[in-house]
Amino acid sequence: MRPFEYVSVSNAEEAVKALAAAAPNGKPVAGCTDLLVEIKHEASSAETLVDISQLEELRGIELTDQGLRIGASVTHTEIMDSDLVAEHAPALQDAAHTIGAVQTRTLGTLAGNLVTCVPSMDSGPTLMALEATVNILGSKGTRSSSMEELFVFVRKTSLEADEIITDIVVPTKNLKKPTVFHKFGLRKGQALALVNAAGSLHVKDGKMTDVRISLGAVAPVVIRCLKAEAHLEGKSADDAQVLNEAAEIALSETSPIDDFRASKAYRNELIKILTKRCIEQSIALSQK
Amino acid sequence: MEIKVTVNGAEKAASVPPETTLLSVLREQWGMTGSKSGCEVGDCGACTVLLDGKPVNACLVLAGQANGRDVLSIEGLGTPNNLDPLQKIFETHASLQCGFCGPGVIMSAKALLNKNPDPTRHDVRDALAGNLCRCTGYVKMIDAVMELAANNKSEAA
Repeated sequence: MRPFEYVSVSNAEEAVKALAAAAPNGKPVAGCTDLLVEIKHEASSAETLVDISQLEELRGIELTDQGLRIGASVTHTEIMDSDLVAEHAPALQDAAHTIGAVQTRTLGTLAGNLVTCVPSMDSGPTLMALEATVNILGSKGTRSSSMEELFVFVRKTSLEADEIITDIVVPTKNLKKPTVFHKFGLRKGQALALVNAAGSLHVKDGKMTDVRISLGAVAPVVIRCLKAEAHLEGKSADDAQVLNEAAEIALSETSPIDDFRASKAYRNELIKILTKRCIEQSIALSQK
Repeated sequence: MEIKVTVNGAEKAASVPPETTLLSVLREQWGMTGSKSGCEVGDCGACTVLLDGKPVNACLVLAGQANGRDVLSIEGLGTPNNLDPLQKIFETHASLQCGFCGPGVIMSAKALLNKNPDPTRHDVRDALAGNLCRCTGYVKMIDAVMELAANNKSEAA
């Protein structure tokens, strides 16, 4: 592997200072499951890696008055093992379980998955459907971002070179909200999503409300399907036709690629099927 | 940089450049070549070791990140004359052919049984999904892990 500097820091403020000093060629690292692969493939220009994996303030899963707070360096395995996540946002566990394989999930972190900003990331759709907020620390202080604001383009987030994610919060209003995640890959393990999807809604008096649909691997970044959501809002939860219409509308909001993993036509079918499946199963959850 | 790691119960030290992985320290500094260098990018699992008890790809752990932590590698399980029960049952089932993937597979299986002593076949497949084998395939490995779990259960009963 080519040489780089490795900086170990004792708190988040120090990490930000180290990143500011190294800008624009510094990168925060935790699990290293993505960045080290990029460095080995000569696809990253990072010269200084600032290790934030062991910082206590970026760890932990807890309920706060804001909602369910998941520290940036919480690993996918820790999400899968968390009773709090199981109780309040179990779809996040389904999503975590589809990432890589056990070894990747031991090391890989939630914030790490988000900042890769690859279109097929498996953490994105569920967090976006649950309207999660990302809290960020930088040289200028703290700020918060929606998932939509975080994702800019393929492998490009809105984070500045001296900013790190400190935690991800699922808002209180969406805890225990019926939410379903599906991923379709070519294998159960070690596979990137051809398409992944999350749906989230409540059913009140037989009608769907607060409908959220988010899709991954269908556009340069993970997206919300606002038109499909609007089409379902207030409609009967028993109307199969309206679901078919929403799936077609969701498809119109996407721009999937043709590549060696799947053709655009195949991904188009997956978009419709996974969108419908997430909504149907969220309806079923809400009626339990 | 200077690092100290507890490997298979013994304290080890090394002075290495920052771009060194745990895998290369194990193999090149400490002579423990049981953990294999396969893909080097976290796909194949041949370098699987337990870091603080959890399975990781040693090719993606920086030496600096292993500093002060606990590593269990295949050398920490058994010896040729005194095999770990997992190694023994892999032998009984002829679960390996060329053997290159074996140390990684066995470490992943070890991690599974430590966490879940009574796994389903699906649990075993899930636990071994990050370990690629190009010779024998996976059925005999899964059979071996399931049988060991069943043996352990009947002994405990």
